[in-house]
Amino acid sequence: MIVVNTESLPGYEIIQSLGIVQGNVVRAKHMGRDIAASFKNIVGGELKGYTELLTEARRDASSRMIAQAEELGADAVMNVRFSTSAITQGAAELYVYGTAVKLAAIEADEPRPAVEGIPPPLPTSQEVPRG
Amino acid sequence: MSHLLLFLVYFVVPLLLLVIAFFGGNAIALNHNKRLEARQQLVDHIRITDLKGYIRPQPGRCTPGLFCAEITLGIDHFRGFLGKLKNILGGEVKSYEKTLDRARREAILQVMEQAHAAGMNAVTNLRLEFVDISGNANRAKKAAMVTIMAYGTGYCSEQDARDAITG
Repeated sequence: MIVVNTESLPGYEIIQSLGIVQGNVVRAKHMGRDIAASFKNIVGGELKGYTELLTEARRDASSRMIAQAEELGADAVMNVRFSTSAITQGAAELYVYGTAVKLAAIEADEPRPAVEGIPPPLPTSQEVPRG
Repeated sequence: MSHLLLFLVYFVVPLLLLVIAFFGGNAIALNHNKRLEARQQLVDHIRITDLKGYIRPQPGRCTPGLFCAEITLGIDHFRGFLGKLKNILGGEVKSYEKTLDRARREAILQVMEQAHAAGMNAVTNLRLEFVDISGNANRAKKAAMVTIMAYGTGYCSEQDARDAITG
């Protein structure tokens, strides 16, 4: 499954859009983490507990979204966005959504640059064979 | 006796905390900045943009993929205290700015490192988002912390991608 947050994919074309797929996770942190974080916060620095919480939430949400896309028989999820909200004081929501699409590979026969750094010349009308 | 106790609780302990926070916080921030600088050198060749499209992609070389990173940084007690003081008069709160800046840098760097590890040399459509874990931004009493999430699409680009932007 290809997951990107761009609107297009080089080398592929979208042949079918299957609609929006999404995944959401609401996660709470336990009090131990809260207390440990408040101690760590005296000197600042990274609060690993919260970072992990968010990483886990993001993984869960993404895997739910990908499971939905697989169910639809999609090849890729495109234009993926993350969104978060703080519902109550004890929990954070992570919501991820994107468009599930079917792809077809394009046979690319674009001219490659002969010299690195210099783009190949554009085809001109003179190159079209006459008669 | 009770006077001494009151003096300890209301004056010495908070002052001690502030001093510890000042030195500890400074050391941690300096250390982090140094590490960021060193890590930046390793991934400096990666072209990172927030454009929606791809610059000179090479579809055959690798399949684009999404990379995400998140980081939570605490604002230390001393800077939190300064911020609260500043809040009375209003104006620019520099200590918060620096922490936010550091968090963003770290998150972007992690995205770049992930792309680098996957053998890619460009990241496009980078998005940064501020995450409010459990409504901490609204909690007046708690010390502030910032959580930043960065995500972008890694892909393989031709070597002269930077030239392609400028023309």
